[in-house]
Amino acid sequence: MTSNSSSLRSPLGRARGLGSAKEGTHHWWVQRLTAIALIPLTMWLVASIVALSGSGYDAFILWFGQPINATVMILFLGVAFHHAQLGMQVVIEDYVSHHGWRVTLNILVKFACYGLATLSIVSILTIAFGA
Amino acid sequence: MATQNRPLSPHLQVYRLPLTALMSITHRITGVGLTFGTLLLTWWITAAAYGKPEFDQVQAFLGSWIGLILLLGFSFALFFHLCNGLRHLFWDFGRYFELHETRRADVIVLIGAAAMTAATWVMVL
Amino acid sequence: MVEFTLPKNSKVKKGTKHPKPEGATNTRTFSVYRYDPDTESNPQLDSYEVDMDSCGPMVLDALLKIKDEMDSTLTLRRSCREGICGSCAMNIDGRNTLACLKPIEECKSDVKVYPLPHLPVVKDLVPDVNHIYAQLTSIEPWIKADTPPPPNGERKQSPEERAKLDGLWECILCFCCTTSCPSYWWNGDRYLGPAVLLQAARWINDSRDEATGERLDELEDPFRLYRCHTIMNCTNACPKGLNPAKAIADIKSKMMERLG
Repeated sequence: MTSNSSSLRSPLGRARGLGSAKEGTHHWWVQRLTAIALIPLTMWLVASIVALSGSGYDAFILWFGQPINATVMILFLGVAFHHAQLGMQVVIEDYVSHHGWRVTLNILVKFACYGLATLSIVSILTIAFGA
Repeated sequence: MATQNRPLSPHLQVYRLPLTALMSITHRITGVGLTFGTLLLTWWITAAAYGKPEFDQVQAFLGSWIGLILLLGFSFALFFHLCNGLRHLFWDFGRYFELHETRRADVIVLIGAAAMTAATWVMVL
Repeated sequence: MVEFTLPKNSKVKKGTKHPKPEGATNTRTFSVYRYDPDTESNPQLDSYEVDMDSCGPMVLDALLKIKDEMDSTLTLRRSCREGICGSCAMNIDGRNTLACLKPIEECKSDVKVYPLPHLPVVKDLVPDVNHIYAQLTSIEPWIKADTPPPPNGERKQSPEERAKLDGLWECILCFCCTTSCPSYWWNGDRYLGPAVLLQAARWINDSRDEATGERLDELEDPFRLYRCHTIMNCTNACPKGLNPAKAIADIKSKMMERLG
């Protein structure tokens, strides 16, 4: 808190600021919801990677070619990238105080997360459909 | 009145952060690290979709020293974030807020994350 | 970016050494943050070698002994000297606490004393807490009810309803918790911080209050409430043994409860 500004606004006026956004619970809840979903999904992914380690390309294609595995992997990717975006948003809001920069960075992170999510999901679908 | 140039009292410079606070900042650092780690994951999957030569290239990188160090960091970050995330979920449901409980959870999370990382690498190598 | 380092005018310089009084054999060094608004110079860390054989057991005893016997310019807030007024909150040995409740014995050999962290300093150990008080005012910490109280009586509360306020009403507003919170350091202009949120919980949980929903509306905000990331420094710091982090979690779960 730096109240060294030369503003003559009253302390209460400054504390009230622009008022409550009446928002934030949804973001908080979806971060928890995705976290809960990621517990089994992550354990499954780790188990898969451990099982696939050492075997090569063919085993990888065979594994993710199976509908169940492809489905769980796509779920993991969708949920993980959403969770990452929500988390990065909180980090940016915490540390980037300039409003313009904060908004810009959040837009870029959203684009990156959902872009990477789409690319990786399409890749799994490509493998699954054997294209 | 010299109110305009009041100094700011020291904060990070003097505060002795409790272990729970260090766990909190580690949770954040591992979370950001994992977000960047998704680049690696996406590269791996996309290469596989393109074909064997591309996939083998990624596998060769991951098998190199740099790749292995990245994967080691990735796996620890993942298990730390997972274990500490679980304790955050308990907090969010109003549980384990007493100080003796948080101190015990700090230790459980650290040991859990280290053990899961070690177990994974033992199975892989 | 938020500033993780101190601004140029706030960097702490080396200060004056005040040697031990003559004949003192059992001494202890206290390094105390000093800032004089009447000079142009930066804050500095003065050290005082205090005679422990003629000093009380608490850090406040040592600070008052310094002021009485070694350096009368030392400025600090204090009143009750028994942990009920909240005036002597400061950063001692790296943690926020009340000087009157902190035994010197529990500190490292060189006892470091700073004002509450990340606040504008008025003088020495006296920080400017106007903004925190204004934030407290903004949550309207008084009973709000449309139903008039019964004639010739008070608003009634069952023992169970009253018990819900335990752990909340005891707060003495020393702000040890609020100024220990990194989230408050970086976003204190908008984040209400643990002390004010604990007070908000105190009114949200009061069965006699009829403005619970409006109170939650006013709190539901990415910055006012949701800057709390359960870092737990608040609960670790509270000299009264209260649990602001838990009170904030309770507000968050009420936000969820009214969603469905």
